[in-house]
Amino acid sequence: MSDQTQQMIDYIKSDVIRRPDIQIDENTPLVSSGLIDSLALVDILMKLEDVTNKRISAGKVQPKDMDTVGLMFATAAKVGKPRK
Amino acid sequence: MNSLTVVLAPGPVHYLVCALLVCVAVAAHRSQRARQLALLLASWLFYVGWGAGFLSVLIASSVMNYLFGAALKRHVTAGRLWLGVAMNIALLGFFKYASAPLAGEPGLGFLHELVRPIGMSFWTLQALSYLFDIYKEEELDPSLLEFCLYMAFWPTVLTGPISRLPTLLPQFRQRIGPSLDDLSVGASRVLQGLFMKMVLAEILAAGWRPGAGVNAGFDRINGNLGGLDVWFLAIGFGFQLFFDFAGYSHIVIGAARLIGIQLDENFDRPYLSPTPAAFWTRWHMSLSSWIRDYVFLQLASLRRGRSWVYFSLLLSMVVVGLWHNASATFIVWGAYHGLLLVAHRIGQQVKRSLRYQLPQSLGLTLSWASTFLLVSFGWLFFRTQTLAQAIEMSRAVFAPGSYSDLSMPLTFYAVTSAIVMGYAMYHAGEALLARWRVANAPDGLHAVAIELMDFVLARRWWWLAPAMVVVALFVGLAIGDLKPAAPATPFMYTLF
Repeated sequence: MSDQTQQMIDYIKSDVIRRPDIQIDENTPLVSSGLIDSLALVDILMKLEDVTNKRISAGKVQPKDMDTVGLMFATAAKVGKPRK
Repeated sequence: MNSLTVVLAPGPVHYLVCALLVCVAVAAHRSQRARQLALLLASWLFYVGWGAGFLSVLIASSVMNYLFGAALKRHVTAGRLWLGVAMNIALLGFFKYASAPLAGEPGLGFLHELVRPIGMSFWTLQALSYLFDIYKEEELDPSLLEFCLYMAFWPTVLTGPISRLPTLLPQFRQRIGPSLDDLSVGASRVLQGLFMKMVLAEILAAGWRPGAGVNAGFDRINGNLGGLDVWFLAIGFGFQLFFDFAGYSHIVIGAARLIGIQLDENFDRPYLSPTPAAFWTRWHMSLSSWIRDYVFLQLASLRRGRSWVYFSLLLSMVVVGLWHNASATFIVWGAYHGLLLVAHRIGQQVKRSLRYQLPQSLGLTLSWASTFLLVSFGWLFFRTQTLAQAIEMSRAVFAPGSYSDLSMPLTFYAVTSAIVMGYAMYHAGEALLARWRVANAPDGLHAVAIELMDFVLARRWWWLAPAMVVVALFVGLAIGDLKPAAPATPFMYTLF
């Protein structure tokens, strides 16, 4: 697991779900399981921009593209553009 | 009357021809195109029953959006997307609001045929989601025939559920052939929906006798209503709307399932929601998820900062209100729910900062009760004809002295209480059964009991719906002259 992935998982556990004891890995469903809601998705998208140092247009992202941490990074790689 | 007029006019012949076309579609094993064409013709024939003018608008919108989609696929640009979005909003605005006053102008009388095409608010959102999905570079490649079928699909064309092309397209391309399970579930859902609409929603709307239903209470514009009257009317209307629209959704989902097509769910026990945020993931789910995906997330990520996210949430809920109708009452209703969602989020943050936490069961009960009452209060703005009436009724809620006045017939309170309690007991029974299932190991007699229970529950609407209609009729007759007022309320969401 890369540093970026771990950073994202730590953020979701401590700042979004606020349950540091919960087990989350790259493939844990977050949106479809109800662990995170629409408001949290916005926070996660912004954190993803910071972690990857890319600009990710929400117009190119659907909630299903953010369902797992693995999918988040795949989405960032697909639609993200380097920050100026 | 010529034979074409007989076929096009809504009635037994019209529906029989539609049904025959659907049967042809199901029977067309070999050709995908023949199957899709038969389904499309059935869908258009079904829709033309509401007016040939409406069908021409639907076809024009389908072709226009298909062409916009093709142009967008060639060059994915924000300009092309927003041109398509603007055209759809302009068409919706024109046909929903501008065509009626214009039809009265000299020389524009033909517009009478085009005023407020039924279901336009729903299928316009379907078209927009297609354009947004192409912009997101989803791999969608419908033919014109498939796209027209997606827009006109007969179970969903009138009032949803608002479907997405990635859900329907693969199913349109499969051989349609309902399994025994599809037939059983489909028929059960249709029966459940009919029971919810024709019995529960109608009894709440019209009451056991004329003047004793929710409609009569809200239509009494100048009547003096006490606080308790207003709460009963608000809660009664909330359940009437739920049984009406969720019932309709059951019928639609069941009808589609009867030909082997699975639609997305539209309701999931919304009145058991413990928070306003949870309510909006369970009420009119196809609309709320559409607004979340294509309005809220786009808006909220434009700028950073907590206050911008809250503003986006508020604006998204105003859009929900506007989608229903561009009137002050619906805008206030949408804004009210936006404020509830923002207040809930701020409340969560405050709660986290406090050291004291309520016991979990007490906290959950209080949270559910306050959500239920706040959502019910909001229905006043949804149902009243004017903002002045909504404010007048709201005043009674905040006037403790008015609670001693009961101005509705006693059967209104009895029927509303019985239906709300019945709904609560139904779900309590479900929860108890689920707990019993978990507590008992599936062996021996328990295994047989669980199998039997699953079999009976899976088909409960086969026997429960007719049985409850018969019981209700007998009870009504036994009480004497109490008999349900004639069902007269159309499906409520056809008005949007």
